[in-house]
Amino acid sequence: MPDTQTALSSAIQLDDIHLRLSSDAGEVNILRGINLDIKRGETIGLVGPSGSGKTSMLMVIAGLERPTEGAVRVAGNDITHLNEDKLALFRREHTGIVFQNFHLVPTMTALENVALPLEFAGRAHAFEAAREQLDAVGLGHRVEHYPGQLSGGEQQRVALARAFVTEPTILLADEPTGNLDGKTGDTVMELLFDLHKRKGTTLLLITHAPELAKRCSRTLTMADGHIVADESVS
Amino acid sequence: MKPDTTTPGAMTEIAASLPGLSLAWRIAAREMRVGLKGFRVFLACLALGVAAIAAVGSLSESVKSGLMADARVLLGGDVDLRTQHQPISAEQQAYLHANATRLSSTVEMKAMAQTDGARALVELKGVDAYYPLTGAVQLDPPADVQDVLAQQNGVWGAAVDAGLLSKLGLSIGDSVHVGKATFQLRAVIQKEPDRVASIINFGPRLMVSTKALPETGLVQLGSQIRYHERLQLTANADPELFIKQLKADFPHAGWRIHGPGNAAPGLQRFIDRLTLFLTFAGLTALLVGGIGVLGAVRSYLETKTSTIATFKCLGAPAKLVFQVYLLQVLALSLVGILIGLTLGAALPFIGIELVKDHLPFVPHVALYPFALFKAAAFGVLVSLTFALWPLAQAQETPAANLFRTNVMPVMTKPRLHYVLAVLIGVFLLGSLVVFWAEERNFAYWFVAVSIVTVFMLHLGALGVMKLAKHAPRPKNAVTRLALTNLHRPGASTPGVVQALGVGLSVLVAVALIQGNIAKQVKDTIPDQAPAFFFIDIQPDQVSPFDLAVSAVPGAHGLMRRPSLRGRIVEIAGVPVDEVDVDPGVRWAIRGDRALSYAAKPADGTEFVDGTWWPEDYAGPPLISFDANVARGFGVGVGDTLTLNILGREITAEIASLRKIDWRTLRFDFAIIFAPGTLENAPHTHIAAIKAPPQSEPEIERVVAKSFANVSAIRVRDALEAANRIIAGIGAAITGTASVTVLAGIIVLGGTIAAARSRRVFDSVVFKVLGATRRQVMGAFLLEYGLLGLFTGLVGAIVGTLISWAVIQFIMGMTWTFLPLEAIGTVIAAITLTMVAGFFGTWRALGEKASGHLRNE
Repeated sequence: MPDTQTALSSAIQLDDIHLRLSSDAGEVNILRGINLDIKRGETIGLVGPSGSGKTSMLMVIAGLERPTEGAVRVAGNDITHLNEDKLALFRREHTGIVFQNFHLVPTMTALENVALPLEFAGRAHAFEAAREQLDAVGLGHRVEHYPGQLSGGEQQRVALARAFVTEPTILLADEPTGNLDGKTGDTVMELLFDLHKRKGTTLLLITHAPELAKRCSRTLTMADGHIVADESVS
Repeated sequence: MKPDTTTPGAMTEIAASLPGLSLAWRIAAREMRVGLKGFRVFLACLALGVAAIAAVGSLSESVKSGLMADARVLLGGDVDLRTQHQPISAEQQAYLHANATRLSSTVEMKAMAQTDGARALVELKGVDAYYPLTGAVQLDPPADVQDVLAQQNGVWGAAVDAGLLSKLGLSIGDSVHVGKATFQLRAVIQKEPDRVASIINFGPRLMVSTKALPETGLVQLGSQIRYHERLQLTANADPELFIKQLKADFPHAGWRIHGPGNAAPGLQRFIDRLTLFLTFAGLTALLVGGIGVLGAVRSYLETKTSTIATFKCLGAPAKLVFQVYLLQVLALSLVGILIGLTLGAALPFIGIELVKDHLPFVPHVALYPFALFKAAAFGVLVSLTFALWPLAQAQETPAANLFRTNVMPVMTKPRLHYVLAVLIGVFLLGSLVVFWAEERNFAYWFVAVSIVTVFMLHLGALGVMKLAKHAPRPKNAVTRLALTNLHRPGASTPGVVQALGVGLSVLVAVALIQGNIAKQVKDTIPDQAPAFFFIDIQPDQVSPFDLAVSAVPGAHGLMRRPSLRGRIVEIAGVPVDEVDVDPGVRWAIRGDRALSYAAKPADGTEFVDGTWWPEDYAGPPLISFDANVARGFGVGVGDTLTLNILGREITAEIASLRKIDWRTLRFDFAIIFAPGTLENAPHTHIAAIKAPPQSEPEIERVVAKSFANVSAIRVRDALEAANRIIAGIGAAITGTASVTVLAGIIVLGGTIAAARSRRVFDSVVFKVLGATRRQVMGAFLLEYGLLGLFTGLVGAIVGTLISWAVIQFIMGMTWTFLPLEAIGTVIAAITLTMVAGFFGTWRALGEKASGHLRNE
């Protein structure tokens, strides 16, 4: 039985997580015994070389990948053995995800994209909340535009709005500025951290940019499926 | 306010509040806002199949309605009474006069029309002064038929089919001899209201007055003559009630009675059978359409992999994903079905214009809701059944796909309840086909053959891919690329082989079946068949006739038998209407049968059961019966048949069963009586003789000269007529089967279009890596050429197997492989795929590389 107090103050807990994936070329050890405890409200920068397991660990936390061994607790919920529908419900309630490639639905407007998770959750006034969130990211005047009509930076801002509209417990970002130029990327990151501050969301951010990692309260370095360094900013 | 999710049980409560169908519809509607561009193949496939079934159904209803509406005209009155050999009795005549307002009598028989240098078999018809009771005879030049046929200056007139004029080299105004009489040809018959279209016409029509018939000398006792009495009842009379009363008042009369409900049963059967085959062709097109639907939905969902993964990342449950795309499929199905129904309802209006002049009645073209409903029902079922599998697979798309690049679509097996739903869909489809078919036996065969065909094509596709995968690696890069593309993940091989393969299999099967039947008619039968059949040889003519024809050089194998006609009224003591007769032998109880009697069996008779009677037999009536018909009746040696012969009912015991192969045109009878029963009944003789072609004109001349009442049916002419009919029916079925190929071509086009983005990407990368345009085009064309070759081969093999099964087991004939038809199919398949591939690839090669090499 987990320690309730610890569970409530922890946003993310990973206990001895192993992830092995099978392929035609044989079994691959992606994560090799990850132990991690992230407190609510922390900002975590996840760095490491390509293939170190950063994205896989993020996917395990988001319930998008089931660990081969170990236990995953997010926002007090043990999600290790939940089925796919329950994982979808879990994500809906607790996680926001921002991707490098934005992944907006091309056939929906900015407003509809942002309202989507609220609609899935059956929340009332989904579109009003979406409009507010788009205002918060400075796109209140582009609500009826489709992704194809927005620049990369604008699309990522819509993606941010979509990730935050459900007021998630944790926000996972996989190289959110990877496809943006320097200035646009800075703007997006300012927004990301601003939203985090206002809503108190726990933020886990994969990045190759050292200056971005420095803005986080804690930096985890991964290599070869392990966490090899865990540095806090004092 | 956000719900509490940290206390135990909170997740369960949230789980209960899943979004409903209205959300699924909202999201589906947003997805469809971008237009239907990606669904052109889906719509085309569904619309074509639905249109084919709707058109066939509407056309059939139009023809049947027209037949019903014109029933009285086709019948020649409200009721038609038909007798063979002799007219109705005086008592029966008096009864009819007392109960009908008007009566008209006609007489029909085969006869020989002769000029000085030529002769031709004709369908002679004598009409009385009241003919026609309904409708009108249209003549050229226009005139009243009674005026044309009347005796003028001592010469009787005649109206003829145009075909007789060309056959005998005559014109209007010329004369022709029929029996001992001479007739002046005064008009061409353009339309004869009560002449129902016959499948086989042995001779053109020659119409004369019944008053002229005695002068011909052809109306003799026992001659093969059909007498018709047409009645016009009072305005309020119900013909069916009248018929019922007539049967009650004359229970043993030898006549056949037709009312408006069965005015033209032969034509009705032909229409029903043709509708059946055309419906099957339409269903096959829809089956191909279903394969197209499967491919189109799969292609569409492949483009939605990212969107589906996004939905799941955002918290959409799998069920909602399924609902979103199912609703899109349903909405598009509705559009496709509506297009198909519109086309299908409109086509009969055009089609009837093309054929109406060739029909003896006016089809009633209109909207027939039930025909359209059936087409729509098939469309919905096909659409759902074929779309279900890729939909169920798509909902398994993992959300984690968003973190991976170049993701392959999910090809896992769907959950069990979806597999069961697909099986239920297939079962419902098959059940509907059988339920709505006029002839269930054919429907069962069609469903079984369809399932086996699709299965065999699927195996064929897998075999092709396996062959391509394990073939030795070619040294040439272009060849290697082409071969690899046949079996790579997501290859279009299965879809193309199945869709195009179905159409090609049907074409090959139809071509081989038709070819085998034509071969039988053209090659096999003429070797065994007689050169002539002769009918209406009077008893006192038999000896001189035998001598005359046998004396013609080359003539040999003369066979002659006594013949008269009778109708089976009871089988083993049970009225025929109450017996469950096998559909394959129903012909034996429809109408009159040719009967004979003999003391000895003919040479070559093959007995299956029982024994022949002694030559001097003189006991109760015995018959020797066709074994196949007996099986279909459910009777054997010892059972009885009751026949109505010239108004008398005779019950005879079956003494023996004979195996008769009618396909060889063997001179035989289904029912042969033992001596002692029929000799004293009025009858004639029929004969058959074999002769080389060069002896035929002399045989005809000898018979025409000395035996004017004897009609000679040249078997060669009959076989040529049969060949023409087989070719015509084959062309009609092939034409309809071509709709299936058209559906396959649409699917092929759709498959090529769906693969376009991959083609573009491939060609961009190849060009970056140094391939010339010629090399890239070469690889794609070779790929399509190989695909066409394998599809053609698989289609040809499957079609050949189907034709073998049909010829061997259903028709009971010896099957011959006809390579030309099969090779033609393979060539057609290669050409189709290469042409389609060329046009699809050419555009892909023209794309600029730069636009495709940047990130999203």
